[in-house]
Amino acid sequence: MKSISRIYFFLIASIVASVIYLYYGVTTTNVKLIKNLEEIFVVQAGNFAENIEEELKKHAAPDKRLYDVLKENAAVRNELEHTLSALVTPSFKYVYVLYRDDKGKYRYLLDGSKEDKGSFDQKLDVDKQKWNRCYETKRDQVLMQNNLEGLWITYLKPVVRNNSVEGVIAIDFSTRLPSTIAQATRPLENIFIYIFAAIGILLLILLYQTVLSIKTKKESIIDPLTSTYNRNFLRSFLKSINPARYQIMMLDIDHFKKINDNFGHKAGDLVLREVATAIKNELREKDRIIRFGGEEFLIFLYKQKKECLAAQKISKRLKESIEKRIFMYENTPIHITVSIGITSNPEHFKSVPDAIKRADEMLYIAKREGRNKIIFDNPNQEAPVSEKKTISEVKEAIEEDRVICHYQPIVDLKTEQVVKYEALVRMIDKDRKTLLPYLFLESIAYTNIYTDLTKRILTIVFNQIKLHRLPISINLNISDILDNKIFTIIVDEIEDNIQLAKWLVIELLENEHISNIENMRERLLKLKSYGVKIAIDDFGSGFSNFSIFQDLPIDILKIDGSLIKDLDSSKIAYSITESITHFAKKLEIESVAEFIHSEEILRIVKDIGIEEGQGFYLGKPSDSIKSEKRSLKQASEISA
Amino acid sequence: MKKLILILISALFLSASPAGKERSIYRTILNAIFPDKAVIHVWLDNPKKRAIFEKIRRVKVVKDHKRADILILYNSFDVPADNKIIFADGYLVFEHFKNRLVGGFYWQKGRPNLVFIKKNLKDHNISLPPTLKEYIEDDM
Repeated sequence: MKSISRIYFFLIASIVASVIYLYYGVTTTNVKLIKNLEEIFVVQAGNFAENIEEELKKHAAPDKRLYDVLKENAAVRNELEHTLSALVTPSFKYVYVLYRDDKGKYRYLLDGSKEDKGSFDQKLDVDKQKWNRCYETKRDQVLMQNNLEGLWITYLKPVVRNNSVEGVIAIDFSTRLPSTIAQATRPLENIFIYIFAAIGILLLILLYQTVLSIKTKKESIIDPLTSTYNRNFLRSFLKSINPARYQIMMLDIDHFKKINDNFGHKAGDLVLREVATAIKNELREKDRIIRFGGEEFLIFLYKQKKECLAAQKISKRLKESIEKRIFMYENTPIHITVSIGITSNPEHFKSVPDAIKRADEMLYIAKREGRNKIIFDNPNQEAPVSEKKTISEVKEAIEEDRVICHYQPIVDLKTEQVVKYEALVRMIDKDRKTLLPYLFLESIAYTNIYTDLTKRILTIVFNQIKLHRLPISINLNISDILDNKIFTIIVDEIEDNIQLAKWLVIELLENEHISNIENMRERLLKLKSYGVKIAIDDFGSGFSNFSIFQDLPIDILKIDGSLIKDLDSSKIAYSITESITHFAKKLEIESVAEFIHSEEILRIVKDIGIEEGQGFYLGKPSDSIKSEKRSLKQASEISA
Repeated sequence: MKKLILILISALFLSASPAGKERSIYRTILNAIFPDKAVIHVWLDNPKKRAIFEKIRRVKVVKDHKRADILILYNSFDVPADNKIIFADGYLVFEHFKNRLVGGFYWQKGRPNLVFIKKNLKDHNISLPPTLKEYIEDDM
């Protein structure tokens, strides 16, 4: 398409250049023609002037001035004027002889002209400066008469007698000939003018069509509501993009459906427009924003260098600015938040659509973890995407029993005895390297493999319980309980190990909003009916909500590590932990402190009155469980 | 300065359209003949020239020659015997009235020509500015 445009452009340019060249040729020929004609006339006039001079000299005695001869002898004057008049033609309009008087005025000696005839001694106002040159140089002069009506050229020849100028023979050429030539060539020039006009009109039409085409093309790639690019643009953009130059951000407006439901679609449209504007305000010239779905925006952030913090900075700024902003609809303020998923290094993927898919997955994680969050595909750049495992690799690992559990001890802080373990899932890759969950869980989220993995973990944990008769906890998402398929598998596994169920603890990750609390409650009660204990994990961060204890049958409360690790340095962390512990005691819920990493933290945790604890100081996760109950000291020694 | 004005007058003679040139020349002539008059009443025998004079500042074209300060003749060979200032607008009229008129302006061989007659200027107590002196003829 581009090459066709180039050919068109080249053809048009060639035509225009050829026409200009031809026009230049015609005008140059015209000028040359007039110039040649001028030369012919000047030569001819020079010959005539010479003949006139000879005639004058013949009639004037050498000892008398020409003026005196002609003044005294009217018959000679008449005869000479008659001779001059024979030279007058429509082209040689005036033939006459002037002299310069004592005052510098030019006056007639003879006039052979048939019209505008001057009489002897009559003054004629001429361009004295130019005429005087004849007297000064005693040479012929050719004057171009640009300012005289009907005159083209004046040929002047001084009449020199006795080495002095006694008069000037003048022959005026009329403009008849050059204008005849101009008239003759005018149709040709007119043709060129018409051609130029036609080309001009053609170019204007082309310009108009180009503008129209650009406008139509622009309209086809712009979303009319938000004035951002649409998927049509994305299709062509993906063809030309260098993924190494961008980071991909997927942004979604949280609870957008509620805005439409509560305020109407007009409010929804307003919010979409305003959010799009807010995003555009934060972006740079080379960034691209595309409306990907209803309330989903796909953003390509240009990065100068390979490693770039643009996505981190811009996404944070964007999230905060939208969160702070109040969207007014018919005097009603609407507060919104956004969730963002980011692919930091799209060049690590097979294709850009794969990288977009990853950003979309990150967005789902952000949503699942409670919304109003930014999730990077490689947090803190800890693992390049290439190290992450694909679905088929995880599936293979499950089939080959390369999915295992590590167990971290949970210690009774009063007796300092290990009373429970928390099972932590690990995958062994083909190089026998142990992989942490973030390297393989993300790829299987929302797939059947995730369900298979849950079943596998439950089997492993029940085997350990059977072996050691100790409580072991497993981590599940709230969405896992609400997922019919996963819940059925959990129940089936429990029923298969009904005698061991009392040692199973299910830790629910306290990181997402519970959409169906009633269903959740029912399902937890069912699990509890088998003797399973329910723990709420990471309490004190994210979506922590004390009302969860009113709605759900919780047995254990695990205080988030982010609070525990700062107990020795943050008064706020201390107060929150103290309050949570107090609250748990009131409800007769067991409290567990996570992330105990030092003796000092252990001391504070004990002082606060938390019942159980876990953390690297108490014992690191290990691939096996000792059956006998161990003391705190033994646990930490084994872990070390 | 004088040279500069002469060049300017020459330029007037040589540039612009014939009508424009004529207007400029007549402006110079009338201002020279009537330097102190607030309004110069002009009578013309050629209605085609009316447009040229009407555009000259201080000039008012009159229909009655008795009210005129100057008669500008193009094709009249019979004029009242009063002592009005007469100025020729063509060579034939100039030739005809050269004993009475103060001057004439006419085109010859495509060139504008201006002539003032010294004796007649003196009869009307007209003193021309130095820039127009070169157009004064002693004897016709």
